Amino acid sequence: MTKEQPRWLEVLKVALPLCLSYIPIGLACGVLLHAAGFNTILTGLASMLVFSGGAQFLIASMLTANAPMHTILFMLFFLELRYALLGSSLSQYVQGTSKKFIYFFAISLNDENYAVNYLKFATDKEWSPNDAMMVEHYSLLSWTVANVIGSLVGGMLPKINLEIVDFALTSLFLYMIVMQIRNKLTILISAFSAVLAVIFMCLLKSTMGLVVATIIASLTGFAIENYLRKHGREKGFLLKNIKPNKQ
Amino acid sequence: MHMSSTDHFILIILSMLVALGPRLLPMKFFTTRKIPEWFNEWMKYVPVSLFTALVVKDIFINTSHYTFIGFGHLAKLLAAVIVMVVAYKSRSMGLSVVLGLAAVALLSMVIPG
Repeated sequence: MTKEQPRWLEVLKVALPLCLSYIPIGLACGVLLHAAGFNTILTGLASMLVFSGGAQFLIASMLTANAPMHTILFMLFFLELRYALLGSSLSQYVQGTSKKFIYFFAISLNDENYAVNYLKFATDKEWSPNDAMMVEHYSLLSWTVANVIGSLVGGMLPKINLEIVDFALTSLFLYMIVMQIRNKLTILISAFSAVLAVIFMCLLKSTMGLVVATIIASLTGFAIENYLRKHGREKGFLLKNIKPNKQ
Repeated sequence: MHMSSTDHFILIILSMLVALGPRLLPMKFFTTRKIPEWFNEWMKYVPVSLFTALVVKDIFINTSHYTFIGFGHLAKLLAAVIVMVVAYKSRSMGLSVVLGLAAVALLSMVIPG
């Protein structure tokens, strides 16, 4: 016998794995922001307003490296540019909602709740824009709470090895790289970007090297794929899909 | 450069705007129009390039002088390989991050430097 569950509970069940995985990352992020000089209120505010693990780790590590504000914002812009793609691809599902809805939906969009919502929209006909918004808010809540606790813990334990905590972000990026791999060309572009990043960071002596490497590598990937498609090599060595192993 | 809490507050607000632009504008735009193909094709390669560059910065670059350190961070490098294997096998973000942190903490005790 299954009793009809309230909708908020059903949506919570969908969002729960995401909320749980935010806890360790959020804690690490809170600790780092504290070390970068953010007080707990500012950390909570950043978690709610910026709400992007990558962006907040970037702010923390660039502040620790004494980067000027315009460099931080420029890097952030490039880091957040990918949301243009995520937002665009979700837009078909939120057509017909109000302007206010789109605004609040966009502000709480991030990589992970995008992944959850995109999958639900694509596979579940019942999934509504309101459910998607609820997933965003659940993830926002757990992210913010974890960050605030991290900030408080960071204040109590001044001897945390930041190099190690910082690796939470590196792990997160590595995870996302692995999730992005579709074909051998992606791996090639990733390797190319790695080489470019080393060259340009050593050359420019700043994190601007990251921006240059990203632009050159992504445009190269775009150009190679375009070339291969025009020459009918979709199924060739570089573009053939690598099947992800389903668990 | 030292920043005060007021600077930090300004940074948060500006960051929010920088973060909001790419999330909101295309969404507003494309709820009524079609996305240009070339933009999508280009954007596909932005995350992987950017994330790789950021990982390289953490593992292979000394960020106080911006010099290449090769295998200077061997513990991080080995932990990174572990994270990639875990991510590929489990496809779980939480597990990847937790095991990554555990691996780098344990490895840096064994491998000095």
